[in-house]
Amino acid sequence: MIAQMSALLKRDLRLALRHGGESLMPLIFLFAVIILVPLGVGPGPNLLASIAPGMVWVAALLASLLALEQLFRPDLEDGTLEQWWVGATSPMALVVTRLFSHWLITGVPVIVFAPLAAEMLYLPDRALGTLMLTLLIGTPILSLVGGLASALTLGTNRGSVLLSILVFPMVVPVLIFSTGGITAAAEGFSARAHLGLLAALLILAVTLVPLATTAALRLNIE
Amino acid sequence: MIPELDYAFYVWTSYGLFAVIMVWQFIQPRLRRRRILAELREELALQSGNYDDPNA
Amino acid sequence: MIFHRLKVGFHRLGSPPTFHKLCRVLSPWLWAGFLLCAAIGLYYALYVVPPDYQQGDSYRILFIHVPAAWQAMASYVIMAILAAIALIWRIRTVEIMTMAAAPVGAAFTALCLATGSLWGKPMWGTWWAWDARLTSMLVLLFIYLGIMGLYAAFEDRRKGARVACILVLVGLVNIPLIHFSVEWWTTLHQGATIRLLGESRMHPSMLPPLIWMTIGVKLMFGAAMLDRARNDLLEQDRRKNWIRQLIGESA
Repeated sequence: MIAQMSALLKRDLRLALRHGGESLMPLIFLFAVIILVPLGVGPGPNLLASIAPGMVWVAALLASLLALEQLFRPDLEDGTLEQWWVGATSPMALVVTRLFSHWLITGVPVIVFAPLAAEMLYLPDRALGTLMLTLLIGTPILSLVGGLASALTLGTNRGSVLLSILVFPMVVPVLIFSTGGITAAAEGFSARAHLGLLAALLILAVTLVPLATTAALRLNIE
Repeated sequence: MIPELDYAFYVWTSYGLFAVIMVWQFIQPRLRRRRILAELREELALQSGNYDDPNA
Repeated sequence: MIFHRLKVGFHRLGSPPTFHKLCRVLSPWLWAGFLLCAAIGLYYALYVVPPDYQQGDSYRILFIHVPAAWQAMASYVIMAILAAIALIWRIRTVEIMTMAAAPVGAAFTALCLATGSLWGKPMWGTWWAWDARLTSMLVLLFIYLGIMGLYAAFEDRRKGARVACILVLVGLVNIPLIHFSVEWWTTLHQGATIRLLGESRMHPSMLPPLIWMTIGVKLMFGAAMLDRARNDLLEQDRRKNWIRQLIGESA
């Protein structure tokens, strides 16, 4: 099982690296938002610092939406997805692997470049650690929830709009606790409560989302 | 009705909305049902017409 | 013995002709019940209950707003129970009923938001406030719309219904989280929030209209859901024999 999972992971990552341009899209998107918003609202450091947590997080969220349409679709079209149910490996393990690789491809680059974005938006230095922690705990939730939405819309033709409508309500709590925590840290308060709740959300998502995603995929390939 | 209803606009708009939505929920399924039934009858008539008269 | 009969009845509901007949018989009674309850409720709400000493007559909006809000949430719970039954026992009629519940629930959510806004304008001086309850209602509306959109996006109606049933159950986990987080968020960002229902304690005379409207609205939900389910069944089974017979009889 481990062998198959790592084979799938290696394949996904190799594909992402070979399509270099495509896998850079989340990052380009992040910085497009980070550059455009100050141009829109003005370069005032106070204003930017106060909206920085929300901006980084909304950018991370939108960046994770980019690759979702293609998360399972190519595998559905060439028949690979059906093989997941034929093989000896449990389909859920493969689903989890795929979600993990989605996080590595879309979540990790955003985390790596978040300090740069935070600096450009004048986020206070003392909030930087909290920002990183919220991204570290929160972006996997985005990948999980997004993967679920992608699995649900797999059998439809007009997936993309529907996908964002499905993802948006599910990420409301993540957005609230993350930005709340960063704002608290920026104002010099403890962000522990926010981080704890965020971690609880992650645990919940890790437990339930693979189940629902596998069930949805199964229905879609029937 | 009520002699001096303050905020009449807001209150009546609310009750009006309530009425509109309830009526819509009542009428819409009935209209759709009529449409479906009409379609089905047409289909059925077409088929049975063919059975009656193969030359048609 | 009773258990056995219940079980048989439950299984019979899975048969489309029986279900169709049940909808046809039940729907007029539910609509009539709704009309009766709403008439009594509106009579109390508009004639009997005196104006509030603080809010004047504007609080009469609450007799629409509160039942709509309750029903918006109750609709989701009912829909989730139906979705669980549909997924576990794979009963097609229940799948159809689950999907028929969504538009009615969405209508109540929209009504709740609209009347909340109409109440907010004279009371708070603004059409929209980022109040916890209003915000989570708005998110609930989007969840309803997502479920309806997902169901509608599938060409295979049955597959669409079952996938949407999964979404209904996911939403059931999500809604309390959203409500709780939004509540926390408003207290974080705004300090003391404006209260939706006002601080004045509810006068006992306000109870009868509320109760009548709530019961009425529940009956109406059942009626509208059955009406919609009946149509969906008719449309999906259009090539089946029992529908042909049905039309033959009525023609």
